[in-house]
Amino acid sequence: MISTRRTFLAGATALGAGSLLIGPGRIGRALAQDASTLIFAAAGTVTSSWDPSSHTIAPQITAEALVFGRLTKCLMKPENPGEILPDLALEWKLIDKYTLEYKLRQGVKFHDGKDFKAEDVKATYEYASQPSRPASAWYPGQVEVEIVDDYTVRLKTEKYGYPALNFWYVSSFLPILSAKDVADPNVLKQRPNGTGAFRYQETKGDQIVFKANADYYDGKPQIETLLWNYVPDANTRVLGLLNGQYHLTERLEPEQFESLKKEANVTTDKGLSSENKYLHFRCNKPPFDDVRVRLAAVHAIDRDQILAIVGEAGQASNCHISPVKFGYTDVPDYPKFDPEMCQKLLAEAGFPNGQGLPELEYITSVGFYPKTREYGELVTAMLQEQGFNVKLTTLEPAAWEEQIYRRADGQGPGHIIDVGWITGSPEPDLVLRPNYYSKFALINGVNDPEIDASLDKERNAESTEERLKVLQEETLPLLAAKVPSLSLYSSVFLRAMSNKLQGAYFYPNGPIDLSKATLG
Amino acid sequence: MAFAIEFFLRRISQGLVIVLLVAFVIFTLLRIVPGDPIRIILGPMTPASVLEQTAKDLGLRDPILVQFGRFVGQVATGDLGRSFIRGLQGGSAGGSQDAAGYNPESRASVAELIGTALPYSLQLAGLGILFALLVAVPIGMAAGLRAGKWPDRLGLYVSSLFVSLPNIWVAVVLIFLLSAKADLLPAIGYRGFSYTIIPAMVVAIELSPVMIRAISVSVAANLGEIYYDVGMVRGLSRWTMIFKHVLRNAAVPLLNLFGAQMIGMLLGGLFVVEYIFSYPGVGMLTINAVFQRDFPIIQAVAILASGALVAINMLVDFTSTTIDRRLKF
Repeated sequence: MISTRRTFLAGATALGAGSLLIGPGRIGRALAQDASTLIFAAAGTVTSSWDPSSHTIAPQITAEALVFGRLTKCLMKPENPGEILPDLALEWKLIDKYTLEYKLRQGVKFHDGKDFKAEDVKATYEYASQPSRPASAWYPGQVEVEIVDDYTVRLKTEKYGYPALNFWYVSSFLPILSAKDVADPNVLKQRPNGTGAFRYQETKGDQIVFKANADYYDGKPQIETLLWNYVPDANTRVLGLLNGQYHLTERLEPEQFESLKKEANVTTDKGLSSENKYLHFRCNKPPFDDVRVRLAAVHAIDRDQILAIVGEAGQASNCHISPVKFGYTDVPDYPKFDPEMCQKLLAEAGFPNGQGLPELEYITSVGFYPKTREYGELVTAMLQEQGFNVKLTTLEPAAWEEQIYRRADGQGPGHIIDVGWITGSPEPDLVLRPNYYSKFALINGVNDPEIDASLDKERNAESTEERLKVLQEETLPLLAAKVPSLSLYSSVFLRAMSNKLQGAYFYPNGPIDLSKATLG
Repeated sequence: MAFAIEFFLRRISQGLVIVLLVAFVIFTLLRIVPGDPIRIILGPMTPASVLEQTAKDLGLRDPILVQFGRFVGQVATGDLGRSFIRGLQGGSAGGSQDAAGYNPESRASVAELIGTALPYSLQLAGLGILFALLVAVPIGMAAGLRAGKWPDRLGLYVSSLFVSLPNIWVAVVLIFLLSAKADLLPAIGYRGFSYTIIPAMVVAIELSPVMIRAISVSVAANLGEIYYDVGMVRGLSRWTMIFKHVLRNAAVPLLNLFGAQMIGMLLGGLFVVEYIFSYPGVGMLTINAVFQRDFPIIQAVAILASGALVAINMLVDFTSTTIDRRLKF
């Protein structure tokens, strides 16, 4: 075909328009960022309220950890889970059973410029511990704060009837707000204002922008800008890491973790988390209202096989709390796979070989935790083998979340629920009370005076040593004997990052300390 | 002119019924499947009594027909409502458990969310169709012009290959090869036009097989028509016949196909592609809304999608009748 002047012009115009649209230099590694911007591909995102007392959502707790300071910090390393380091408080001591004193760091400023003082601790603790605040579950109870001077506070619990020692570990998990913000809940909701290494700048759709806090007491972070990108799909997070668009990503599947290990530009990291995975039995309806049936079920389950499926995302643990929690112990009589014992217990409970048992629904999720569907099928088969008539229901996260908790009438759907529980402090009661104290028992509905008494006893202990003893010798063995839920294993978090990223510290409940991190 | 007015009046009224039906089906299905949005709005640990009260206040406990009536009334005034989940800045969010502080006014307007996302989707769809045409027109025409010869077989092979590649797989492979390994193009998210290219390729690979087959069959059929031979006998050149007559006549089935099949495929494809590429269009917005039980967004997108389908089919039929006056719809 001969090209005429007209066709040539048309072609040239189209080419020109095309290159204008694309623009010079956009193609190629335009995505490569300068060394001071870190892009985090997050698996979860935040709520529409920035008030930390308004939610118990794990991804938002991770975001808040960047912005807010706490009185103390606990790195929760498995070798020393009880270690407490200073953050906004430099010293702390127990004055008496109901009084815990903190000496505060001086010269710290909030991101809006306000000086950090004792009034902020008082405002925060007294506001967030009110039972009407949704996150008051993190507090051992309501608390009064006495201001001794601008930089000394005393937590007082006598009025509410529990020992002040309960704040010993929890204080490393409770973000400190500005008293000015607490006075104006609307401002509190709109933007987070803390003393942490990063300050909040803005939210753009599914991206949150954080900037380095120049006045951070421990020195301005080298990472100037932190972009928090919400990327719900795990494969997309991995591909974004491979092509250099993301520097850091979390919640990898075991297979993804394996294949990323071989990549030259990527560093993988795994860490034992503060999360245990549980099978909760609905204890307030038949047949699991009978402890013998619960024990029969747990003796039917071979946890070694589950761990083989979960691979690197799980670690064996024989206890209802994770090894990074205060009080963890390898409970000696933790129920083991024992078909004979299972049959014996079933017969005792009046269901020989499972005869007479109703159909049981086992509810699990897919796409939230690693391998739940796969091991759900395995557990179902193991229970069926012993005569339990179990039906597995696998739901996507939103539908599953709706089925987990008990309803207004105290009953929850199904009979066995697969769920994890993760909290950001070594404090064991953040796991034990919401799940096993009859007043809460949010999922399993257990109502056992012995468990209640034991939980009260460990809470009311007057020294950490005494509390440790009660937890390890009484409370945790009692939970293993009564199994309102079976703790399957402790979760291991699998992450990957660009090998340029150095100096990040990963907390076992998800938050990341990037205050000393560099992007080489 | 009278035909055009009658045509549009009739088709718009039919279209409205279809959109209303789709809206009703989606509306009902959302409320029947498990997954109560109130638990997602307020968070899992909210006391049951608060959940129920807030659900009642939001009208989520009224009979479905009452809720639907209220919704249609709202939409008729141009108000698509507010997201259950997303905050005013558009950020996706888990639930806030602050039942006392929950205020629907603090949530993003659905119309604005869609308004922000739509240009991205249109850009992706446009580029995807362009790429698909660039591939399908030459291959399809060559196949139609040389029916039974090697170009025909090539057309068949290419379309068979493309149709059997799942778009999820193609997307992951293209990101891996073109972005992660070869470092030619960015792929994930959106920070400039170049972020649209790889996703558009995936859309094109999904669309082109149907186009190739339709073009080749239609061109071949027209070459067999008597008018083609007559034109040649009258001394018109082969190329004149092809470009002036065959292409014009072959365009009618292609247009119909576009309206009936491709728009549906395109919509479905965009959802998957946008999700994989974290591309901030309507597809991504919708998939996240489904995961989060964000009813107002799902409903609005369903209405807009069915409205778009109806409108495009209407335009396609109208264009067909202007190309070929014998057609009546």
